[in-house]
Amino acid sequence: MLAATPHNTLLYAVIATVCLPLLAFIYQAVKGRSAQTGIPSITAIIGSLLLASYIAVQVWNQPPIHFQYSWFTLGENTFYIGILLNNLTALMLVLVPLIAVPVHIYSTAYMQGDAGIHRYWMYLSLFCFAMLGLLVVDNLLLMYIFWELVGFASYLLIGFWYTRESAVQANKKAFLINRIGDLGFLIGIAIIFSEFGTLDLHALFSENGLLSQMDNLSSTWLTAAGIAFFIGAMAKSAQFPLHVWLPDAMEGPTAVSSLIHAATMVAAGVFLLARIFPLFNEHALLVISIVGTLTACTAACFALAQYDIKKILAYSTISQLGYMMVGVGIGAYDTAIFHLLTHAFFKCLLFLAAGAVIHEMQHLKQHVQGDFDPQDLRNMGGLKRWMPKTAILMGLASLALAGFPLTSGFLSKDALIISTFEWASERGLVYQLIPALLILVSILTAFYSARLIFKAFFGEPRLPYFHGVEKHPVHEPGASMLWPMVFLGICCLFPLFSLNPFSSSHSWILSGLAVPHSFAAIHALHLLIPSMLVTGTVLSITLAWKWYAQDKYPLNAQSALMLAAEKQFYINEFNQRIWVNGILGIAKGAYWLDRHIVDGLVQLFAGCVQYISKVSSWVDTHIVDGLVNGLAALTYWLGNIFRQAQNGKIQSYFLAAFFTLFMGLLYLIFS
Amino acid sequence: MISITHFLIVSACIFSLGIYAILAKRNAIMILVGIELIINAAILNFVAFGRYDKIHYGGQVFALFAMVLAAAAVAVGLAIILNVYRHYRTINPDQITDLKD
Repeated sequence: MLAATPHNTLLYAVIATVCLPLLAFIYQAVKGRSAQTGIPSITAIIGSLLLASYIAVQVWNQPPIHFQYSWFTLGENTFYIGILLNNLTALMLVLVPLIAVPVHIYSTAYMQGDAGIHRYWMYLSLFCFAMLGLLVVDNLLLMYIFWELVGFASYLLIGFWYTRESAVQANKKAFLINRIGDLGFLIGIAIIFSEFGTLDLHALFSENGLLSQMDNLSSTWLTAAGIAFFIGAMAKSAQFPLHVWLPDAMEGPTAVSSLIHAATMVAAGVFLLARIFPLFNEHALLVISIVGTLTACTAACFALAQYDIKKILAYSTISQLGYMMVGVGIGAYDTAIFHLLTHAFFKCLLFLAAGAVIHEMQHLKQHVQGDFDPQDLRNMGGLKRWMPKTAILMGLASLALAGFPLTSGFLSKDALIISTFEWASERGLVYQLIPALLILVSILTAFYSARLIFKAFFGEPRLPYFHGVEKHPVHEPGASMLWPMVFLGICCLFPLFSLNPFSSSHSWILSGLAVPHSFAAIHALHLLIPSMLVTGTVLSITLAWKWYAQDKYPLNAQSALMLAAEKQFYINEFNQRIWVNGILGIAKGAYWLDRHIVDGLVQLFAGCVQYISKVSSWVDTHIVDGLVNGLAALTYWLGNIFRQAQNGKIQSYFLAAFFTLFMGLLYLIFS
Repeated sequence: MISITHFLIVSACIFSLGIYAILAKRNAIMILVGIELIINAAILNFVAFGRYDKIHYGGQVFALFAMVLAAAAVAVGLAIILNVYRHYRTINPDQITDLKD
């Protein structure tokens, strides 16, 4: 394909970026239990970050760079192995190690003393390797391989504390739900291959690729392929109703949750959709928008009623992923990626801060020998007195999540919602529902993030242990936990993404991705929407302050609606009853069928054979053996008779001899 | 007149007696006597048929040889019987069954 010589250094840099975590993984896998420090993993990921930055500088705003080598030939089709670098890849390639480095450093303190820490570093490196590989590869088959690896690594990490029953259930669930998505991805690959005969991303989706030349392609197949790929992304990026694995995935270590939610696992789905965006036609995109909106709404509602600090964050991730899906669905995947990037930083920070809080609550639990859930918001309160820095950082991240001005979340969320409005205004009244719902979700987001902050850090402590204890075990996290959080906190602010804090239109990311929008920009919205959002946000935060910080909660926490929201509208129970029990029922039926029909047939056949063999055995023992035995018995009997002659008495011998002679004589005489 | 047939009849009778003695007696010496009777039956035949060889008297000569032979055989036989008696403490042939398989 393209001549590779001028870019040789770039190629090696890409390979090194991807393979450094793999090397760390292999090294630690070989070292086993003795590799506890995590230094190989941290070194590898920092190396990846530096190389990725170099690559990004080289690739940014250049034409896409494509390396390709033949891999294997199957019949007439040759499969290629290769690397495709463009602005999207460059962005993500920097983002992943940039999020992973603070998480790694944070983990050195957070996971300190864990019995399985050698496994932790190993899995973490594998996870980073899989995600980095997913970003750079140039065809769908390789992408699928790395996609599976990401899923597998997350499975290992979610079930990291495998002695807990709930962790085992959670990673099984994550794996199974992701299988559904993988099936979608695989079907998508099959459709693409049968229609185009190639899986190469560059050949398919570049500006004059196969997809743009083929207008006779059956639109049904195109829609089917688009939806199949979207199902893949739905499972990975936790879209309703395949989101159920993500809240349960909180069973993993908090640092892992932050990585899954920020840069690696859930980002893979959005990245896939952006990478293969030209594939989606009008119908597929509409499905994506609707599912995204639905996800954003439901997850925001679920988040309102959660008490587990990590579950609130999990639902907020799902809700924000819904936003990104809407961004892809309206054709403005640049805003989706923009939101993915900003979201990665503040969500990572939120999780790390939550991890710090849980860490301290766990310490307190051990200190006072108490019996309470260290992740439950109802057990916290007033923590800002002991952890002011964590409180400030988490508050900052929450403001970014809520889309408050001067934060990165404001820029990306506004860009996304404005694009949605512009998209909807060209279509019709029904379509206006999507941006309207997104605004509602944004206000809900502000409310539940404020609820989280106020319940955890403000008000009076709810546990008795906080009163009258002189030397308190709850304190700020150590430097190796705090500094990564400070770094992420800085990344939550606007200057990293756009110099103008109130307008995303000048953001270097959006101009770098340069996605042609199918709808006209409406400038009036750029003032209207942000002001609406900020007003809504401020109002909801004020309400949350009244309700939670000042403890004037007016609602009944035990009402049916609240409980339903906490239980995700019973979707898990629904899944359990319909799918799990249904499949178990089918399995039982199949078992019965196997047991009684298939086995019955086999046993009937076996019985027949047994009967025939019994008959033949009888014939053998009685007829065949009988003949032989009879012959033998006859011989024995005869022999016995003749044996009598040999009695040792000389006279009888003589008689026999005489008799014979006498008979011989008689014969001679008479013959 | 006494023809050769009468000789042969007497000879056959003696022979039969000898056979009977060999087969039926419970004493080895009596069996030896039976053997002697058979030899004598044969000698009688030699002598009877000797009348047809009046030049050489082959029959009579052979009879003399046979008598000497019979005496020798009796001596040998008695010696064997003596040894058998020493060995088995009996000379009843029914009780000496070492030839059995």
